[in-house]
Amino acid sequence: MRISPETSQLVLNALQNLENSEQQDIQQLSTGRRVNADSDDPAAAAVEVNLAYQMDSTNQYLQSISDLASELQTADSSLNSAGTAIQQAISVGVEGANGTLSQQDRTALAQQVQGITQQVLNVANLTYNGRFVFGGTADSQPPYQSDGNGGVTYQGNDGVNYVEVQDGQTIAVNEPGSQLFSAPGTNVFQALEDLSNALESNSSTTEDIGNAVTSLRSAYDQLTTARCFYGNTIDQLLSVQQSQNTAKIQLSAQQNNVVGIDLDAAASNLSNAQTAQNATVEAAASLNSLSLMDYISAIGAQ
Amino acid sequence: MGGLVSTMGIALGALEAQQAGMEVTTNNIANLDTPGYSRERLVVEEADPFVQNGIALGDGVNVTGVESLRDTLLNLQVNDEIQQQSKSQTYVNTMNQVQTLFPDDTTGIGQSISAFFQSINSLSTDPADPTLRESVLSAAGNMASAFNTTATQLSSTRQQLNQVVDQQVQQINQLSSQVAALNVQITGAGTSSNQSTGSLLDQRDSLVQQLSQLVDLSQIQDGNSLTLTTQQGAALVVGGQSYALSTENGSDGTQHVFSAQGNDITGEISGGELGGTLEARDQTIPDLQTQLDSLASGLVQALNSANAMGTDLNGNPGGNLFDPVSGAGAAANMTLAISDPSLIAASSDGTSGSNGNLANFSAVANQAVADGETPSDCYADLVFQAGTAVENGNAELTASGAMLQQLQQQQSAVSGVSLDEEASNLLLYQRGYQAAAEAVTAVSQMLETAINMGAVESS
Repeated sequence: MRISPETSQLVLNALQNLENSEQQDIQQLSTGRRVNADSDDPAAAAVEVNLAYQMDSTNQYLQSISDLASELQTADSSLNSAGTAIQQAISVGVEGANGTLSQQDRTALAQQVQGITQQVLNVANLTYNGRFVFGGTADSQPPYQSDGNGGVTYQGNDGVNYVEVQDGQTIAVNEPGSQLFSAPGTNVFQALEDLSNALESNSSTTEDIGNAVTSLRSAYDQLTTARCFYGNTIDQLLSVQQSQNTAKIQLSAQQNNVVGIDLDAAASNLSNAQTAQNATVEAAASLNSLSLMDYISAIGAQ
Repeated sequence: MGGLVSTMGIALGALEAQQAGMEVTTNNIANLDTPGYSRERLVVEEADPFVQNGIALGDGVNVTGVESLRDTLLNLQVNDEIQQQSKSQTYVNTMNQVQTLFPDDTTGIGQSISAFFQSINSLSTDPADPTLRESVLSAAGNMASAFNTTATQLSSTRQQLNQVVDQQVQQINQLSSQVAALNVQITGAGTSSNQSTGSLLDQRDSLVQQLSQLVDLSQIQDGNSLTLTTQQGAALVVGGQSYALSTENGSDGTQHVFSAQGNDITGEISGGELGGTLEARDQTIPDLQTQLDSLASGLVQALNSANAMGTDLNGNPGGNLFDPVSGAGAAANMTLAISDPSLIAASSDGTSGSNGNLANFSAVANQAVADGETPSDCYADLVFQAGTAVENGNAELTASGAMLQQLQQQQSAVSGVSLDEEASNLLLYQRGYQAAAEAVTAVSQMLETAINMGAVESS
């Protein structure tokens, strides 16, 4: 059979193929990605869409967790200071129940209690980023309003907001004031007002004062119990945060598996392609070095 | 006839034949790099012998013509493979651009969908916050414009392909008429005997090859004349007559291709650049558009109903977040219906602080909004489709490329010029010419001798 005399096209095709493969290797090495176009691996590209989505979600969850945690911590520490203030009022009440005190002394104690009421009121009307955090979902106005005579009424609601902190898990992120300060039967402000009134009134007995202290104690207990919500939620957030950080590492590893490159393999592919290219070029150079034409002049000269 | 004079005739004939051989060889060498050139060979035969005194003596050599070496079947196979090759190449080139509209991570529709749902989660931590509301609105706007951009680019790609179809049809017509003209020349040359048709055949082969790049061809060899039709039978060239294809804008807004008989053959063309262009324009891209539109309308509908379930910051029931869209053009027309962030209905209890309704938005991310898939899955499917289109095209391209290369090597084995071969021919003809020239000299000397003897035989 006659052999095709045209070798240049063969060489050209071989070189082009090698150059294509080199270009691909270089692109992979420079981007760190094996899939630089959907067509490089359509199935991997499709998986990457969802992995990228999960990565975005994870980052968003972490952001939300950190925003929430700082709000909840502020609320928690404010409630702590309210608790301390109420404890102080209880001490004042216990002191006031001492029969040896003069009415003048008691009036002074009542004023202390009123001061404490103001402190607790400030906590109950705590704002975070412009929102009244203890007003339930009615958080655009102060939930507790003083009537000017020591009486305080709750303007908030019982609404609770839930935020998704990881796929499929939502957690409650607020405790309405109606659970903290003005729970049915254990109203902090009512108890403080009663104590103040008992201390101020000439007619009240040490027993009256003692009763007021008792109901303040139970309001304090309710506040302390309800306040646990914040501590628990913060703990929960921190634990979710931890698992989200782990998830993030796993996702990133998964993304690398799906669309990332095996650095060693890509580098060795590149060097193989370069070796093959050199060999082809050398072979091509030697292919056309021999021709009968070279001998014609020699024969003709004989 | 006989004697020295006729011997001289034989020697001169030999000289002519060797010279003709030299001419053919030199022509081969000259056309070493000419695309489409098939090597030629001198065809010679022994002259009829003459009988003298009962003995048959050879009467030298006759040049009967020049033969062009080609394998018609191989040429057909090469052309078929060229049709496949250029179809895949055109398709891949087009879809390579299209697939960049469906990136898999940090840009495009997928990212905009993700960013929207993340902004909803962010808003749920502080549902009345104007900045967070603004960013939900802007994420929704970005999502709409990502759909708009992709949809617009898909349709403008189809528009560009309409122009490409026009150009390709023009090229086909031009080549067809050239083939028809060559048919006339070749059949004309064929009848006036001994005239070499090789270069005309080469020209026609090369035109047919160019036509094969453009469209799926069917060839019928009728003597020296070549009839060309599309594979589905629309005539392009019959003898000396060419039949022009035409294009016309159809009701679907694309350029349709019509045969000279006026039949719409758009759907029949399956090879060549035109075939590749039409496949991308009429099949792959419309499929992507349909799915994109159904994702857009599904998302719009789901998010609008989510908004309608809640209460906005002013205490009013939520209205449309996007203008309702459906069917073809949904992605291109996706537009925000509101520009006031307070109209996002985050609240489920009417208070501004409630985020209860945002869960309905978040739920859309896991809801089957289009083709039974979640928004993210549906987009991932688009990425997969666009990528697979190119991947399959590339695979076909590689396969037909390898095939074509092999066939072209075979073709070149038949028709290609080998310098070694021509060099040995050159030597042969050179030596032959030298020998014949020696013979002329010898006969001439013998004639001179005979004249000097004064005895010249009558002839």
